[in-house]
Amino acid sequence: MWKKRLAIIGNGMGTCRLLDELTARGAHVLYEITVYGEEPGGAYNRIMLGRVLGGERPDEIVTKTPAWYDRHAIRLLARTRVTRLDTLRKTVHTEDGLERRYDLAVFATGSEPVVPPLDGLLDEGGALRRGAFVYRTVADCLRIRQHARPGDSAVVVGGGLLGLEAAKVLSDRGLHVTVVHLSPTLMDAQLDRIGGEMLGRQIARAGIFVRAGRTVESAYGADRVDGVVLNDGTRLPADLVVLACGVRPRVDVARASGLPVRRGIEVNDTLATLVPSVYAFGECAEHQGRTYGIVAPVWEQAAVLADVLSATQPQARYRGSKIYTRLKVAGVDVASMGSLEPELESDHVVQIIEERRHAYRKVIVRDGRLLGAMLVGNTAAAAGLVQLYDRDDPVPADPLELLCQSTACAATPGDRVICNCHKVTEQTLRQAIAEGADSVQALGAATRAGTGCGSCRTELGQLLATARKTVVRLEAVS
Amino acid sequence: MASRPGGQAQRSRESTPHLHLVGAKATHTHCPYCAFQCGMTVSIADAAPHDLAIHADPDFPVNRGQMCIKGFTSAALVTHPARLTSPLMRAAHGALVPVSWDAALDFIAETLVALRDRHGAESLAAFGSGALTNEKAYLLGKLARVALRTPHIDYNGRYCMASAAAGQTRAFGVDRGLPFPVADIADAQVLMLWGSNCADTMPPIAQWLADQRAHGGSLIVVDPRRTATARDATLHLQITPGTDLALANGLLHLAIAEQLIDRAYIDRRTEGFEEVRRSVLTSDPAHVERVTGVPVEQQRRAVRLLAAADRSMTLTGRGAEQQSKGTDTVLALINLMLALGKVGKPASGYGCLTGQGNGQGGREHGQKADQLPGYRSIADPAHRETVARHWGVDPASLPGKGKSAYELLDALGPDGGIRALLVFGSNVAVASPNVSNIVRKLRQLDLLVVCDAFENETSADAHVILPTAQWAEEEGTTTNLEGRVILRQRVQPPPEGVRTDVEVIAALAARLGCAQQFAFDSPRAVFDELRRVTAGATADYSGMTYERLRSERGVFWPCPSIDHPGTPRLFADRFAHPSGRARFHVVPYRAAAEAPDAAYPLYFTTGRYREHYNSGAQTRRVKTLIEAKPEPRVEIHPRLAARLGVADDGVLLVESRRGRVRFRTHVSADIRPDTLFAPFHWGGRQAANLLTIPALDPISRMPEFKVCAVRASAASSAESER
Repeated sequence: MWKKRLAIIGNGMGTCRLLDELTARGAHVLYEITVYGEEPGGAYNRIMLGRVLGGERPDEIVTKTPAWYDRHAIRLLARTRVTRLDTLRKTVHTEDGLERRYDLAVFATGSEPVVPPLDGLLDEGGALRRGAFVYRTVADCLRIRQHARPGDSAVVVGGGLLGLEAAKVLSDRGLHVTVVHLSPTLMDAQLDRIGGEMLGRQIARAGIFVRAGRTVESAYGADRVDGVVLNDGTRLPADLVVLACGVRPRVDVARASGLPVRRGIEVNDTLATLVPSVYAFGECAEHQGRTYGIVAPVWEQAAVLADVLSATQPQARYRGSKIYTRLKVAGVDVASMGSLEPELESDHVVQIIEERRHAYRKVIVRDGRLLGAMLVGNTAAAAGLVQLYDRDDPVPADPLELLCQSTACAATPGDRVICNCHKVTEQTLRQAIAEGADSVQALGAATRAGTGCGSCRTELGQLLATARKTVVRLEAVS
Repeated sequence: MASRPGGQAQRSRESTPHLHLVGAKATHTHCPYCAFQCGMTVSIADAAPHDLAIHADPDFPVNRGQMCIKGFTSAALVTHPARLTSPLMRAAHGALVPVSWDAALDFIAETLVALRDRHGAESLAAFGSGALTNEKAYLLGKLARVALRTPHIDYNGRYCMASAAAGQTRAFGVDRGLPFPVADIADAQVLMLWGSNCADTMPPIAQWLADQRAHGGSLIVVDPRRTATARDATLHLQITPGTDLALANGLLHLAIAEQLIDRAYIDRRTEGFEEVRRSVLTSDPAHVERVTGVPVEQQRRAVRLLAAADRSMTLTGRGAEQQSKGTDTVLALINLMLALGKVGKPASGYGCLTGQGNGQGGREHGQKADQLPGYRSIADPAHRETVARHWGVDPASLPGKGKSAYELLDALGPDGGIRALLVFGSNVAVASPNVSNIVRKLRQLDLLVVCDAFENETSADAHVILPTAQWAEEEGTTTNLEGRVILRQRVQPPPEGVRTDVEVIAALAARLGCAQQFAFDSPRAVFDELRRVTAGATADYSGMTYERLRSERGVFWPCPSIDHPGTPRLFADRFAHPSGRARFHVVPYRAAAEAPDAAYPLYFTTGRYREHYNSGAQTRRVKTLIEAKPEPRVEIHPRLAARLGVADDGVLLVESRRGRVRFRTHVSADIRPDTLFAPFHWGGRQAANLLTIPALDPISRMPEFKVCAVRASAASSAESER
């Protein structure tokens, strides 16, 4: 059968997932796929960049090697920068001056780090000066690794997810690390003030300095960046400055191709752009006014797009994603979902603050449903909460139940039948034990339990054992 | 306690006070129910020849003198007043009336031939069972291929073992439920039971778990319910139904991330690891927690326990396997155990706890749509050639691969094209998913023949019911969950008017013009042919004789010659693929066929009671058992029950997109608050399978019994009146 040419612009985590989803749906029968990637090699798991920064080989986080693309008859054009699409002639134009035809195109150009317009940060060509880095790609990690040496001092600009991760890794490599963060508390996109403060204290305990509520005004240094100046006038010398000030959708190619772009490339519920035959998904796409900077929504979009493109489920629609963050930052477990603060008078809030255990738990309930929740330091309840949040399931009358444990607070009723043959219940057996039955035989004599098929004798033994333990404990107490 | 007859020394077993005198007529045999195949002695009291006294056999090395209440009460079936003792045929007025064997068999054969002439051989089908002995399974396969000449034969093991079988075959090149004896469990330092509530479904195995614990071992249980098995676990991962594959991949991710894998083993004994390693890079614990509901810390603990122990094993049950991705889930767990370097080491590795009595042998000898005896493939020309030569037929005359169980049943009637169905030892009208569809299809058949000892839900629509002998009334072999082939001995002859399946199949074949190929006068004669046919095959039985099976208390396959000791442990040196290596498989997570949504917001999962067995066709006949568990009750978390306004012992209406059932409730904090559970042992309006979804695993064709979406509401007890 004649195959349509599917061009995918970008080779990040979104494309990696889209290729899996397409392959799983047998779409290779329909499409001849070409992937355009700027970075060398195959796709990798960006979430694990911290490990590369920490010293692991980049290959450890590669999810698809070039051989994978070959095996699946997918053409990978790595180190290839796309400049624009001609959406009328349906051609992809690359930096090397070539153009290639497509029938369908998918933008998966992801996002790029925000570089704040600071004096002294960029050279004349607009590139970062020596000593200043962004933290987004494997190449960035390798550059930082090469530059950073034990005993160096580092300033990380931005106390969000990425900034704190970079700070921790650098601290672990023996650097003196200061995090400068605009808001009064860390991770303010995921945590409220109490949570952010608690996290900040833990970060400090981990040996990282935090300067919150400050901004960097400028960088200084002659041939390279030697430090930064904060808005309170403080000068912080730094052998390296890592910029982790957030990301924004990468839309340059889309703009050059004449696609409607606001913050991201505008798409509808099928991930289609306004221009026929051109789709976009992932961090570069804007859906219902929202863009996403975490991976789960990107995967959800990839699944819908694959459903649509493979026609396995052409009526599939993307309706937006629920935002959930769950990670360990600098040794502190954090989970966060939905709203950070109550919004209506009727919103119900439960907070548990354990200052000395460095733990904080909070849920916000609206109309019997979870509006938001956050956990710092004790995330045992995360699994149960996020599932409730994802499904919009009803919250129990007392929301504390949700925080006490991961799932059910299991309790076994004492009236269950242990010996089926003679219908002897656990209660009866406990009674017999209390009255002196101290062996399986004695229990059998007293209650007939275990004298039929015998399959419950193991359980009888255990009942006796636990009863003994209780007695010993009581004796120890008295 | 009295000593046993025959000069055997009585082993002192203080822990078995229930053992009584084994009478002079005691026969060693095995339980008719599950794959544990407890050794038992059955004696006929001189005073009351109709009473069979059943005792657990203290010397059989699998159950060691223990038994469960089902086996203990199984004599009730043999002497049951409701059992059939004459063939029944549907008369013109619709009722079933007794007829002679000749009349019944003639009618069946004539109808089969007429349908075949008119609609082709593919209009005929046979449906077997994991309850059939090896001899019957073998003979039924031969009947379909040689006498009926149809590709359409499958069996209820497709509802049971197919995913584990497909997974093991792909990974190891061979499928034997446990590649080691059950006794090895006691030596495992860490045991992970995944989707198995064996403390209830296979109670005598609990002694091995207790031994394991007594040796200081840890137990990890993965189950949406805090079951009797999970209650004793060191670590219980209370997983969201249908997400087992995500968790299995996540554990491998953690094992790699924490550098717990055994590189030397992977290099030496396996192939395909690199790609699997890359494929689980995105199965990070936080994501897995969100999907599965299993907290990150528990994931970590589980994988650390498994990795730190020298001897650790993972055993799966139907929970992991009865999903539309059951095969992949099994493969993911094998990936994990291979990466940890455990498979093939003592008391370590992966195994599956087979369900039905002869679930193992039943999948080896040709009653499966794609299989020929000895675990040979019906698609392999060399295998076809070998089997055809033994059967004295042209290899080209052997049909190809037929439809799998649910697909076969779904094709019954004029639309699907299958017009006649012979059912042996299976109650498909209870055991199938989306069962109302199957019942409707059964009613469209031109000919439905049911061979069973009792009437059941399936025979309700039969044109002919043939009364067959029970476990204590005929000889035959089964292959237990360990791959140990054992001999069931006859205790007494069947009652007047009842025939054995072997006799029925032979008589039918003769009427279909194949007397020569079915000239068997005994199960032993069938077994001897089975031995010859399986010689050189994967499941090689050729070195086994009834005498050996009796004196050695079973022999493990493969056993290629009379002087071969059998093979209790596989994989110590090599795997069964030509390279000798085990294969890793990339198995990305995918969601269940049906996820809860606004309209059907709850998970529904099915399982078993300790007191009942599969479709309940036997156990619902036993007074002790039906008194203990008279009806199915839906298990519901107190929080959900409160929300729905239903109390314990109340009535809950449970509805899926396929059906609705009113269940009495069992309110228990042992189940996840988002999940309902019900046992599937009942038929009719109490059938849990009215709700289940017939989504099939693309490889094993296993239906997704373990997860579908339902809604629930409190029902008044008046409504529950039936």
